[in-house]
Amino acid sequence: MEYSRLKYDENNKYHRFSKSLGITIVSLILLLEIWWIASLLANSSFLPTPLETWDALATLYSVGDPITGKSMWQYIAASMSTFLKGFVLALVVAVPLGLVIGYSRIVRQFANPILEILRPIAPIAWAPIFIYGINYTVGPILVVFIGIFFPLLTNVIFGVMKIDQGLIDASKTLGASKLQTFTKVMIPSAVPYTMNGIKVGLGVGWMCIVAAEMFAPINAGIGYYLQEQSSVVGSGAGAFAALVIIAILGLLTIGLADYIHRVIVKRMGMEE
Amino acid sequence: MSDEISNINEEISDVDNCGCEEAQICIKNLRKVYKTDDSETVAVEDFSLNIRKGELVTIVGPSGCGKTTILRMIAGLLEPTSGTILIDGKAASGPGSDRGMVFQDFALFPWRSVRRNVEFGMEVAGVPKEERRTRADRYIKLVGLEKFADSRVHELSGGMKQRVGIARVLVNHPEVTLMDEPFGSLDAQTRNIMQVQLLRVLAKTDQTIIFVTHSVDEALFLSDRIIILTKRPATIKEIITVPWPRPRDRADPAFSILRKRILVELENENVMG
Ligand SMILES: Nc1ncnc2c1ncn2[C@@H]1O[C@H](COP(=O)(O)OP(=O)(O)O)[C@@H](O)[C@H]1O
Ligand SMILES: [Mg+2]
Repeated sequence: MEYSRLKYDENNKYHRFSKSLGITIVSLILLLEIWWIASLLANSSFLPTPLETWDALATLYSVGDPITGKSMWQYIAASMSTFLKGFVLALVVAVPLGLVIGYSRIVRQFANPILEILRPIAPIAWAPIFIYGINYTVGPILVVFIGIFFPLLTNVIFGVMKIDQGLIDASKTLGASKLQTFTKVMIPSAVPYTMNGIKVGLGVGWMCIVAAEMFAPINAGIGYYLQEQSSVVGSGAGAFAALVIIAILGLLTIGLADYIHRVIVKRMGMEE
Repeated sequence: MSDEISNINEEISDVDNCGCEEAQICIKNLRKVYKTDDSETVAVEDFSLNIRKGELVTIVGPSGCGKTTILRMIAGLLEPTSGTILIDGKAASGPGSDRGMVFQDFALFPWRSVRRNVEFGMEVAGVPKEERRTRADRYIKLVGLEKFADSRVHELSGGMKQRVGIARVLVNHPEVTLMDEPFGSLDAQTRNIMQVQLLRVLAKTDQTIIFVTHSVDEALFLSDRIIILTKRPATIKEIITVPWPRPRDRADPAFSILRKRILVELENENVMG
């Protein structure tokens, strides 16, 4: 009779949460196992075991990097600062641009060829150009910017174009001008898509951060540390420690964006 | 009402009951052709109608005949291919709050509360905040949603949503309210309730209404006149003046007789090649 109380109940929020948490933990353990086995089989200093990585992480945390004299937090702060600047820049440029491109067919026809030529170029390909062409501070920011810009722009354009025509008709017959319809109906309608673009963009942005910082010893971030550990020190464990940090930073920012997305969509009554 | 059965055919007339000069809405020779790259569809042909202030006119016709097209042209959402639409003697062009519209799928703004939906028209017209709120609350009360003024629209039932849609239009005091199958997506019971409530709300205003519907029953229950359309391209087949005062009794034999007559006309439209 106790059994029935333990039975999984799909309608119970806590049961659902426990179940998904359980599955997540199993999947993480599996990842760790595969990594462990692979590192033992490879038996190379460039593929450290999780334990060696953990030690490197602990050293970085407690002693910092003796070569540059920077602490782990300084590396993280430098990366976050580069990342956030690239992100804000992408937001400021892509959102208004996407709204205009989505709204106006002429602008869209004009912009499409340019975007289609630039879009397939990997953001990382811009890294050497921006970093050596401009400088060590602005270059990495621009690489992150490019990474976030395109997915964000695409989503904003899509959001404006997918707007419910009925809402626009309603707005017009309630007396709204074109500009009022744009600001009061089209922009709010595009918010959920914009948030989705931000999530995708953040993912791509983190993919770019290492390449962006790799060549930039000044203002060195975690990407620089990774490069330094691999090439100068030859420590796979140190490089992997950097990877772990990047993964965690990515998870945290994307998780935060996901949470904000959900709150906004719910508050706006626009659950898909 | 039953003693009127024999008189029905004399009482209902086939003509407009006023001329263009006295009419609040005067529609002349309206025509709409939809052009695509490889085809032309004549949706509306030679549609003329005069409507007096405060009248409730319904338009019935086979589906796809051009009813929505007519309403959208009056609303200014669609440019007529030819013909004129005069509101109070002035040519209507482009959409505006003088011609409000209620949509079948409600078209409420999901990110706005009930009150902020109702305030939308006043907001874009620059009505000050306090006045906006008082007027909105009055109309929210009129449609019986005072308990839901701060609710999000996705929390409401279909019938409640459409009451928001109606309040959102009436609060702007339009010259005419265009309703495109407003109760079409509601279940039969809710639909009947909404019809009764609509009449109650309208009794407190002198709104002119053009109401498109699929349902002959709904047309008979609500309207002063019923415009029966031909199949596409839509032109007026017959205009029936509904002879009874409101409230009307759907179970009355006279009601059934007139309903049957209109249904036969609509069926003929569907059958005729
Ligand atoms: N934008 C459009 N382009 C081409 N044809 C259209 C368009 N809108 C409607 N039609 C056609 O015009 C006819 C009338 O449509 P509509 O006015 O929506 O009919 P109803 O509301 O009476 O069902 C239909 O045959 C429909 O296919
Ligand atoms: Mg229609």
